[in-house]
Amino acid sequence: MKEQGWKWEQEGGGDTLTRNQNHTRLIWCSSEFHKLLRKIQGIPPIADHTQLELTVVFNACLCLIAQSQFLEAESLLTQATERVPQMTEDGPFASDPPVFWKIALKSVGNTALNPCVMYLLCLQWAIWLATCKLQTIQELQNELLSVFETLSSGVWDEERSASRRMSSDIPLPVMDQRRLIELLQICTFIAQGAERLSEGRSSEALAGLQSASSLPAPRTLISYTHFLSGSCLAHMNRPQMALQCYRMALETDSQCVCALYQSMLIYRQHGNTQAEIQALRLLHSTLMLPSATEASPAGTHLLPSSLLLQSQSLSSLLSVPSALSVLHSLALKCVLHERVAEGVEYYLDLLAALHTEDQHGVHAGGPSLPKLPELYLQAGAALLMARRPADCMALCDEIITTTLELLPKKVVLKEPEECEGETRAACAEVEDGVWMLLWVGAAYLLQGHCHTHLRDWEQAVTTYTRCINLLVKVRFKKRGCQPQIPSADMVGMQGTNLCILQRLKGLSLAGRGISFTQTDQLREGLRDLQLSIQALPEGKCAGLWCGEVLWRLGRKREAVACWEKTWSFTPHFSVQSLSLYLQEPQSGPLLDSTELRCRIEELCPTLSG
Amino acid sequence: MGNVVLGSYWSKLRRAEFCDGVPTTHPLSTTGLKRRFRPTISHSELRHVCRPARQFFFFVFVVSAMEGRCAVETWAEFGSSGTACTPWLKVGFGTDVLLCTGVDEVYVYSPREGKLTAVIEGPGPVTDLVESPDQQCLYVACASGVYRVSSRLLGSRAGRSPADASPRAGALKLSPESLAFAEEGVLSLLLVGSVLLTLCQRDSSWILTLYRSSDLERLRSVRVPLAVPSETGRRRRPLLTCVQPSAGGVRLEPILFKLLFGIDAALAKSPVVLCGLPDGRLCFLPLRPAGSRLGVLHSLEQPVVFVGASGVADAGRGLARCLVAVGEQGRVVLIESEGGGDRAAFVEGCVPGPVRCGCVDKKRLYYSTGSDLLALHLPEGSPEREGPSVEKSRVTPAALRSPSSLNVCRVLALAEPTCNAAGQVELLGLSARGQLQRITLPVDSEDAGWPKAPSTRGGRSVGDLLSAIGDVGERAAVLKANVKSKNQILRRLNQVLNISFLLAAGTDGEEREKPIGCRATASWSRLLEEDSLTLTCVLDNSSPYVLERGWTLSVAASPLSGPPAAGGQSSSAHFSFPFHSLHPGETLEVSLPLAAAGESCFPVTVSCSLIFSLAGLLGEEAAVLPGLQPACVSLPLNTLTVDWLHALRVTSPAHGKAPSQSSNTSDAVQAFLRLRRLSCGGGAEVAGERERHAASVRVSAASLRDAPALRGCEADAQGGVRSPPRNVGLSLMEWLLSEALGGVTAVRRGDRSALRCSVVHGRDPSGHPVKLTASEVDVAEQAGGREETLTAVEVRVESSSVAAVCGLHHAVLTRVQAALQTAPGRAAPEKRTQGSGLRKALHRAERLLQQIQQSRISGAVGVGVSTGQACQSLLSVYQELRENPLLVI
Repeated sequence: MKEQGWKWEQEGGGDTLTRNQNHTRLIWCSSEFHKLLRKIQGIPPIADHTQLELTVVFNACLCLIAQSQFLEAESLLTQATERVPQMTEDGPFASDPPVFWKIALKSVGNTALNPCVMYLLCLQWAIWLATCKLQTIQELQNELLSVFETLSSGVWDEERSASRRMSSDIPLPVMDQRRLIELLQICTFIAQGAERLSEGRSSEALAGLQSASSLPAPRTLISYTHFLSGSCLAHMNRPQMALQCYRMALETDSQCVCALYQSMLIYRQHGNTQAEIQALRLLHSTLMLPSATEASPAGTHLLPSSLLLQSQSLSSLLSVPSALSVLHSLALKCVLHERVAEGVEYYLDLLAALHTEDQHGVHAGGPSLPKLPELYLQAGAALLMARRPADCMALCDEIITTTLELLPKKVVLKEPEECEGETRAACAEVEDGVWMLLWVGAAYLLQGHCHTHLRDWEQAVTTYTRCINLLVKVRFKKRGCQPQIPSADMVGMQGTNLCILQRLKGLSLAGRGISFTQTDQLREGLRDLQLSIQALPEGKCAGLWCGEVLWRLGRKREAVACWEKTWSFTPHFSVQSLSLYLQEPQSGPLLDSTELRCRIEELCPTLSG
Repeated sequence: MGNVVLGSYWSKLRRAEFCDGVPTTHPLSTTGLKRRFRPTISHSELRHVCRPARQFFFFVFVVSAMEGRCAVETWAEFGSSGTACTPWLKVGFGTDVLLCTGVDEVYVYSPREGKLTAVIEGPGPVTDLVESPDQQCLYVACASGVYRVSSRLLGSRAGRSPADASPRAGALKLSPESLAFAEEGVLSLLLVGSVLLTLCQRDSSWILTLYRSSDLERLRSVRVPLAVPSETGRRRRPLLTCVQPSAGGVRLEPILFKLLFGIDAALAKSPVVLCGLPDGRLCFLPLRPAGSRLGVLHSLEQPVVFVGASGVADAGRGLARCLVAVGEQGRVVLIESEGGGDRAAFVEGCVPGPVRCGCVDKKRLYYSTGSDLLALHLPEGSPEREGPSVEKSRVTPAALRSPSSLNVCRVLALAEPTCNAAGQVELLGLSARGQLQRITLPVDSEDAGWPKAPSTRGGRSVGDLLSAIGDVGERAAVLKANVKSKNQILRRLNQVLNISFLLAAGTDGEEREKPIGCRATASWSRLLEEDSLTLTCVLDNSSPYVLERGWTLSVAASPLSGPPAAGGQSSSAHFSFPFHSLHPGETLEVSLPLAAAGESCFPVTVSCSLIFSLAGLLGEEAAVLPGLQPACVSLPLNTLTVDWLHALRVTSPAHGKAPSQSSNTSDAVQAFLRLRRLSCGGGAEVAGERERHAASVRVSAASLRDAPALRGCEADAQGGVRSPPRNVGLSLMEWLLSEALGGVTAVRRGDRSALRCSVVHGRDPSGHPVKLTASEVDVAEQAGGREETLTAVEVRVESSSVAAVCGLHHAVLTRVQAALQTAPGRAAPEKRTQGSGLRKALHRAERLLQQIQQSRISGAVGVGVSTGQACQSLLSVYQELRENPLLVI
């Protein structure tokens, strides 16, 4: 599989250099602007030079913000604004930032300095945004809106360009100021939307986000607005509209994987398996794509939108599981929903990916993949379903050879509460031992199934026996009792290792029983099948075959009772939630239920009537 | 194999050169050479000497050909750098030796040709270097990044002038073009398959970064927080090495691999990167499955200087049976599987350190302490794995204690050991002087293993047993002594605890007399031509416990009020008196100077406490216990107060006016100066000696008579005979001057008759004459409309010194209060109101308050009055307050 760079908090080696160079240049620029500023501020403020000074302040501050030095930038901003002559006339300053800026805007009034101060306010806005002070932005909303309107109308720009034509000594800002304003506007909408959404005020958030989606902005940000609108709608229980929004987000920016992921979740929630699989496949291939470095509009590279969008709620909304865990879900879904061949391919891809040293698409956070033996077993079960017993056996062999020598001699399972008395380390060690034993047991079981599939009954019996011998080593300790061999009634919760143990035991006994039956060792077969029913009452195969053996032995009444009981048994949890390798094999010798019913009818028509 | 490759490699090189036909200039700078020769050869001479010297004559000197000794052969000399960087040494390109002495240059030395073939010059100190598996390129870690150097480039430098008789080395400067990637401060490099790993230290963590070696794309980085804050001293290099489960590189026994690194890594057949950090941690990172986390295997708690795998179990498959890690201070840990594969055993031992470097071969660990090279025999695994019942020849810490010396000193770096054709083990070492040495180990001990021959085996094993027994005996004796001292310490700690409980019990609840306490006497004495008040403290142990060695009596004397010291802190003096032991009923007397004459900062609070130093008791063990930094137990005893009355020097009436013997010339000068200062100060105090301040205390005679304290004194004075109430004033005066208050007694020399007098003259600590008068006065009272007279005792203090008046007044008042408090509550206290007196007093107080406020305001505003005036007015207020006191009843 070709794995190209999907980047997660890591930059590729290729552009590390350029990034480094950019960074050095930024630092250099910053220090130069500061030197210049120190020179300018060394003299008392002169009205004629204020515009120049404020532009230098703007540049220096922007450099600081780009280096995430927000505190320094903020203090520089206030200091510089306090130096403006019109401000000094108005006397002492308010320490509260919103009030300070309100006064500042008022005091410069409608003079030529107004845009300069407004640009500084924009930088302050950026700092608030980057430090997630949305409350402050809310307080100053009216002012910011008017700033936005004034500056984006472009009146000042024209004036300036006119004056620039006349004299060449008008200082240049390092970033296009109109772009800055637009960026701030949309980022504010996005951050506010995410905040409100996480607070549960979905409809409120939706209004803001939808108005934001028509703003001029980079594609990525527009797609975020669509994505967040979709999330709001999903919260408001309108999955179809949410899907529409997600689609729009994807249409705007094809790299918006979070939209894809959320759509997948909606499909899963509504049981649309085919669509879910489709979404998972798309998600995986998108994650594996090399992320195209977004061509940022000219003049905004200093202030990437990621710097302004750092809120916790937004990043949790945007987070997506790793490519490998997506691939795992995809494989599992396919196998569970009758697309076994496809699922097997995905499983093999996953194993191959895990075996490469290329660590793309891996990050520490997020749901981690199951342990490797578990994945091997799932893949093995899938291979068996796809009728590739040889491959399945190879995988199981791998597990067995690796794990066998580490198996503990004796295992005592304990109730979870009982574990607390002991040290955690000891408990973890026992737990590890139990898991290894269960993995090896499952591997033997799968191998047994493979032999059954190949109708190699002798081998099947041997392998199942190995599995059984392993499993009976496990004792279960109840509070206040001696360790004993666990029985079916002790199984409390599904998914616990006790439950898995019982299932493995039931399945392997049933497998051996059937194998014995096939070689006409009916007594042994009956014994095993009955034991299997004891261990796992809901086992269908065991029940039916037990009846069959009884029938062959001439105990027809008992056989009928056994069949009836098996049919009437309803499992108390869905089989799908179990691991693949714990499900009953579909490949072994099967008994046809209708044929059995015919036999029953023949025997006693009155009973079945 | 290596040779074949190398041979073809060289022939290829030759061909390339002939084709190129590049003119042979020698870019090798002579800096490296100059550095070596500068001490002995002047610059002008260098031209002549330099040329032959460049050839790096190698000279062989076999230390000893005798059996059991090593042959050391010096190949070349590179000069020592003396920098902070660790020198290192590696074998690459087949048999070439790559080495760095800690400077900017890496030397490539070819033992086959016996010469230096290339020099790689970095822009900064070269910290590490790895060779790609196909020997096509080198990765060189330098200060600012990792450089990729094609070996072809190196080769062409090496053989620039094939025709030249004197083969010379060429220097290859690492240029920015050859920068593979920029990463600040890479300390170690490792190449595993297609992954290049770098390890560097940032402020608070170690960062292990993985790069794909084909296109140098960064794959992942793993952060390891620093265990201890980094020290700025010598930068130690962390170690990176790799173990494999099956193929390639150093292979580890599968069972041990699984036990250490988990089933996932084993299933994925993943190479595992081992990382020995300078903080002692031994970390591991499986490269597969993708996304594995870094784990900590062990911690040596000292900088790791070597990590390797050894103990080959079966030569056929070449699997290493154990991992070895060595710490700088000589701690060695062997990690192997135990109990038939149940768990991994970590066997720790200690060899005499410090360990500078190490390497390992199949059977032995070689390490250098700088003064010697030692070989430690690692236990060999049995060829086939036995059942758990059979005792395997397991490693024990004792086995790690007997390294054998190889008698080679000053080795700072070692390369992987090799085996020559004759079966001898050869080590390559870099000495402190910068010499590249080949150390050939004697073959006999190598081949035959430790038990040399069957004939000597018996004797040898007996000898081993005997020495082992000796070891055990020695250790037992040490342990016994240890236990004994621990018991002793426990016993003493118990005693300390008892005493602590005893003393701590009194602190809560009501004030109880503590069984261990201090009392004191104050007396004037002459020390070094200066009068000083000496306090003699007596520690009284009336508890049932012995105060043993280790206790210290600590006395802190601090004035209640006084002029602030220069540092702005209160001037308090601390004295501590360690003592040996104090048995029940015994007392300990210590003397301490409380104040010299002239320093009148009374009253002084003297707090006594007992301090027990745990550090003294535990000794070195305290250093081991981490939470015991302030290892002291401090138990407060009681607090004593030394006031003006204690410090008053009573003179007999005759001497009252005349200067006493103590007022010598210096006193006279002082007096003169004082007078002078006063006269300059101006104001009302010009009168100087004539100006007298006075204050008085009035106590009702009746209440005084009831006070048991006074009664006792009276009884004493009368020699036990109870007499009709005599002059109350007289007895009060006597009591004031002689009785112990607050645990302090004043010792007054001279006749006591001076005290038995209603007028007492004396001098305050500064030498001002003071007069104390006790007289009986009648105070008229209006009670319920009736005029009543009360008999009262008035104690009047008069002196020219304000401080003395204030101090004495305070002291007298405190004592009278104390005396009256001890009086039993009278059944029906006579209800007398000092009606008129009270009213008058109230008026007066209000007026005075006004006056104080006024002066305060003016003081605060800072206008109107000078500070002198303000002081004056406050003084007058004070005096008026004291002049007409209320009657104490």
